[in-house]
Amino acid sequence: MSRSLETSSLKRKRPEVDPLGLVDAERAILNAIKNKKDLGIWVRDIKQETKLTDHVVNKSLKSLLARKLIKEVVNIQYKGKKHYMAVEFEPSKEVSGGVWYVDGNLDKELVNVMKQLCLRCIRVQKVATLERVHEHLKKQQVVNFEISSQHVSDILNSMVLDNEIIEVKSTGLGAYYSIPIGTVCYRFDSSPAVAKGSKLGAFASIPCGACPRISLCTPDGVISPSTCVYYTKWLNIDF
Amino acid sequence: MVSQYGIKLATYLISFSYGDFCSKVCECLLSRGSLTLAQIIRFTELSRENVINCLRVLIHQNCVQAFSIQQEVAFGEAPKIVTQYTALFDNMIHKMRFPKFMQIVSKELGEDCLGIFEGLLQHGRLSLNQIIDRNKQTPDNSDVHVVRETFSRLLNARFVERCPAPEPFLAPHEEETPAKKRGTKSAKIAEAPKTIEQRALAAAAPMESIRFLMEIDTLTGTSEEKGMESQNIAMLDEKWKQDFSDAELSASGKKKEILWRVNFEEFMRRLRHKACMEYVIARLSDQSGIVLSAILELTRSSETRLKTDKSASLSINDIYDEVIKKDGGLGMDFERIRASLVQLGCQIPTTGIDETYSIDLKNIVELAQNEEVESVVLKRYGREAYRIFRLLSKSGRLLETDKISDTTFVEKKDTLKILYKLWKDGYLHMEKVSVNGPKQTLFLLWEMNKEPLWLRVLDEMYHAALNLRLRITYELDQEKEILQLPKEKLIGELEKRYKRLGKVRIILETSLMNLDDALMLFRDF
Repeated sequence: MSRSLETSSLKRKRPEVDPLGLVDAERAILNAIKNKKDLGIWVRDIKQETKLTDHVVNKSLKSLLARKLIKEVVNIQYKGKKHYMAVEFEPSKEVSGGVWYVDGNLDKELVNVMKQLCLRCIRVQKVATLERVHEHLKKQQVVNFEISSQHVSDILNSMVLDNEIIEVKSTGLGAYYSIPIGTVCYRFDSSPAVAKGSKLGAFASIPCGACPRISLCTPDGVISPSTCVYYTKWLNIDF
Repeated sequence: MVSQYGIKLATYLISFSYGDFCSKVCECLLSRGSLTLAQIIRFTELSRENVINCLRVLIHQNCVQAFSIQQEVAFGEAPKIVTQYTALFDNMIHKMRFPKFMQIVSKELGEDCLGIFEGLLQHGRLSLNQIIDRNKQTPDNSDVHVVRETFSRLLNARFVERCPAPEPFLAPHEEETPAKKRGTKSAKIAEAPKTIEQRALAAAAPMESIRFLMEIDTLTGTSEEKGMESQNIAMLDEKWKQDFSDAELSASGKKKEILWRVNFEEFMRRLRHKACMEYVIARLSDQSGIVLSAILELTRSSETRLKTDKSASLSINDIYDEVIKKDGGLGMDFERIRASLVQLGCQIPTTGIDETYSIDLKNIVELAQNEEVESVVLKRYGREAYRIFRLLSKSGRLLETDKISDTTFVEKKDTLKILYKLWKDGYLHMEKVSVNGPKQTLFLLWEMNKEPLWLRVLDEMYHAALNLRLRITYELDQEKEILQLPKEKLIGELEKRYKRLGKVRIILETSLMNLDDALMLFRDF
């Protein structure tokens, strides 16, 4: 008798035991979201996993959001799709896009500021290794996150691609005297070719090099070198 | 095969110098490959006499090479020997570069050599006697010995060489089907290591031992050439001998004399070295430039091909001895030279016993080519595309869209747009990879489309060079009246127009010369 009472009381008690006061559907959804940890989950996947109807899922999500148990996150890969994550997790790098992304958008301001700082550091030192730039940035404390060597490397690589700095191997001489021979380092070059960001090639510096209509241009055609407006504009500069 | 605008530029240059008939013959040969006289007549619809005259001019100007081959005939008939003509595209384009060649000669050997050299450029082929005769006609003519001496200086510098044999006979190749008409079928053969044209040029080239030899020309040289000549003629078909080879023989002048011509190969080699040096100075440092120039100076004579991948190996002592002779090289010590060599891509040997270095010239040329294409991308597609393109060009392998976006700091959506645009315009190659996991995902991989892209850029550059030439002609044409006026009448508005024309010409001509450097970078280096 007592035993049956115990079980029945347990059974009855269970919903009220839930400290958050969630109903079954809500709990199932919350578990599905929590299982994904910092990756978040897409609404459609929730529906598939819990096998609940659209209406129930939507209602439950609303209520969970209202109780601040879950949050909506932007997944960098699928910006159009709604993703949810439990509040205790921070979006992983795959979801947020890493430190360079804010709300799923590239933080161009931050990237530019970092580039400027790196450039200033290299300009002062003339030649710098990745470690030195990293140290310099850590001292400056410009960002609200722990800047890693990988972050600095990302920035420096993109600057190399932009031809703003040059990646070289230390020769151990001159400006490189304190860097072991063969170590990869970054050099700022004030020669005119580099100062401009990139040297303009011979072809790119005449109108034809940048002409989007070159394939339509013929000696006696509608577009021809003698009637070309780009040429006229080019040749009339400075007169 | 030469690209479309390459042909257009070449025929324009020929028409500019030698008239429309010659340019028609050139166009026909360039676009159809090697042809016989009858075929040229049929395709150009010019009279026989005109075609023969054009060929004479073009052969004399080193723009066409003749060769004879055995033609396949029906079973039972005697083999037939036919003469074919092939256009020498590069030599036509070199016409544009004569000022550059002249500058090299004048800088290295001085003004007297330049006089003889100019005559050779203008006339294509000259014998020593003709050169001496030409000199006599100049107001400040010099003694015969002096002329010979000057000429031998040109020869020693390899600026001048013996002309190739007028019509070498190509023995039928066993593996190769005898080239009849060069149609679609033989276009495939042309991809084989050695085309019939290349074989003809190799057969025509004078032996390396006598190529730059003047002294014994009257003895051995002629007899040898004569021997080859008579052998060729004997083999020629009767009919051909009558109506054309005779004409050609008389055309190329007195056969008993050795004809000389400008050795373009040497100039291209020097310009290639110059381009490498300029790139190194701009990209690395002046010191590396000095070291490279010293190395090239020492190894130049040993280069046998134009496109040498790597310079010959030199010991550090030899390099040092040459470096200190250079301007600004006196202060260099072994340490600095080694440092520059490392910058130039050399590895310092770990054992000090045999310390030799060789420079990878091909790599320098490739880097310079990349830079040229990259700046076109920058101009046409903007900075973000430039960054993406540089990433792909540097990595040289397939990269995934997200990886590209992350490395270049370009928004994912924009990255895809830019990549797609570049792919559509033929700059990139794309591969789709689908992964079958719990969910099917599609990855797009991208790579630089190097070979076809390089060809396209080259063709566009020929196009641009032609455009610059045409614009110069147009501008001169517009201001024809002003150019005919005497100088004192050029006042007010007229003076302004005259000055403008001068400036426009300078801009256009310098641009053309610079563009030509880029053309050589892609075609010849």
